[in-house]
Amino acid sequence: MDRNSSVAVTGMGVVSSIGMDLESFGRGLAAGKCGVVQLDPKSGSASEIQVGAVLREFAFEQWHSTLPGEVRSFFASSRKILNNTTESTRWSACAAMQAFTNAGLQSQRSPDDALGLIIAGSNLSQEYVAQNWSRSIERAGRINPKYALSFWDSNQVGCLSEILGARGPGCTVGAASASGNAGLFQACQWIRSGVVDRCVVVGAGSEFSRLELDAFAMIGAACHGRFQNDPERACRPFDAAAEGVVFGQGSGAVVLESRLSVESRGARVLGEIAGISLLLDGHHLPDPSVAGEARAMQTALRDAGISPEEIAYINAHGSSSPLGDRTECDAIKQAFGAGSRQVWINSTKGLTGHCMAASGVMELIATILQLNGGFIHPNRNLEAPIDAELRFASGAALPCDGVYAMSNGFGFGGFNSSLVIRKAEDERRD
Amino acid sequence: MSPEQQKIFEVVKAHTLKVLIDLDPAQVTIEKSLSDLGANSVDRLEVVMNAIDALNLQVPLTALQGVRDLRGLVDLLGRYAERS
Repeated sequence: MDRNSSVAVTGMGVVSSIGMDLESFGRGLAAGKCGVVQLDPKSGSASEIQVGAVLREFAFEQWHSTLPGEVRSFFASSRKILNNTTESTRWSACAAMQAFTNAGLQSQRSPDDALGLIIAGSNLSQEYVAQNWSRSIERAGRINPKYALSFWDSNQVGCLSEILGARGPGCTVGAASASGNAGLFQACQWIRSGVVDRCVVVGAGSEFSRLELDAFAMIGAACHGRFQNDPERACRPFDAAAEGVVFGQGSGAVVLESRLSVESRGARVLGEIAGISLLLDGHHLPDPSVAGEARAMQTALRDAGISPEEIAYINAHGSSSPLGDRTECDAIKQAFGAGSRQVWINSTKGLTGHCMAASGVMELIATILQLNGGFIHPNRNLEAPIDAELRFASGAALPCDGVYAMSNGFGFGGFNSSLVIRKAEDERRD
Repeated sequence: MSPEQQKIFEVVKAHTLKVLIDLDPAQVTIEKSLSDLGANSVDRLEVVMNAIDALNLQVPLTALQGVRDLRGLVDLLGRYAERS
């Protein structure tokens, strides 16, 4: 790929169980902080599943009140727009508002006809749907009128477009757990083709009800065995004792921008998406595929125009699923060949849990923070690595001066996606 | 207003302030309409349905069509409260 078709990341924002802003998220990564906790059995979300990396302390109103005066005034409408809507929408708004101000866009003309908006994820508010069903039955059909708007995932596009003043193209993009990467893929295509100058991509958090969690447990995808009363040890990507996915709540947002737009407004570049892929296996099952994942990694490398040896570090999909992690190890070996022994590998999900549709965007942010901070975060609970030939980060942060990294995202239904991420030029000079 | 109407008005006012979060409570007077107070179409339905729910009434949506202001709403809810 030619240098000019790389897409700049100029703003980032995050809400997670290990940090509620970029700074604390970065500190949490470096420290290998654990966001997984024991779930409240009365919360309605727990039955088979008793551990999760949940957002217990987040309240949008409280967060909004802590914003600096000028920013708070710019986003004054957000409190009313987000009143009586879904938690997922509020997490998305919080992450997007952080990314927007991080990119300095609050000083641009608003509304902005050249600003696109993508919400990555589908079926984001299943708990909200379940609660509204219960209300309807208990109260003889006296339903919440705002449900007619809020049950649509695309309502998040509407709410955030109003808050941010986005008037370019916008939609939701879904690809199960690869949704975040799929949203980034769509935005990169828009920017490369000139459809839009800049685009906010939000990896939206999933509010699962008991039904989704129990269904994941039933098909053997979620951790529900011996670590149910040991939350800090439950999520263990690439470890021989891993029992499955530990679900997480969170949201990540980035501002992506064309080279031209960066230059015309003098924006600061935090990192670049140098290459990206999104490919199907041609089936609808949860089964991961070595060949499919390897093809996604090779396609992203080709898109970036670099060789596997130039990748210093892989932010793996690494979901703590025994079959998923084994498959990804084999795919890395297939895609990287002999180079697979040199590349550092970690999984952010070991810290944040699997934040589903949000994870691709959150892990892009984690990768950029690590490249710019010169470190690779620890792999939590990696006591007996499932593959002795690969180079996993251990229990403490490691120094890293690499320029390129890869971030993988795979999803049920045969979605395979990889990103090649380049460190920002300013950071490379330092 | 009768004490019953006053009670219903207070419920409607509380739900108006829950939906229109930055409204000055002193602005919510019986002669105003929800539109006067800045409510959009969904806000209006939210206030009305939540007040009906809080009062535990069964009111068909068609009955709301002629309501022009908070007085009209309070009168209507009062008539359904008497029936229940």
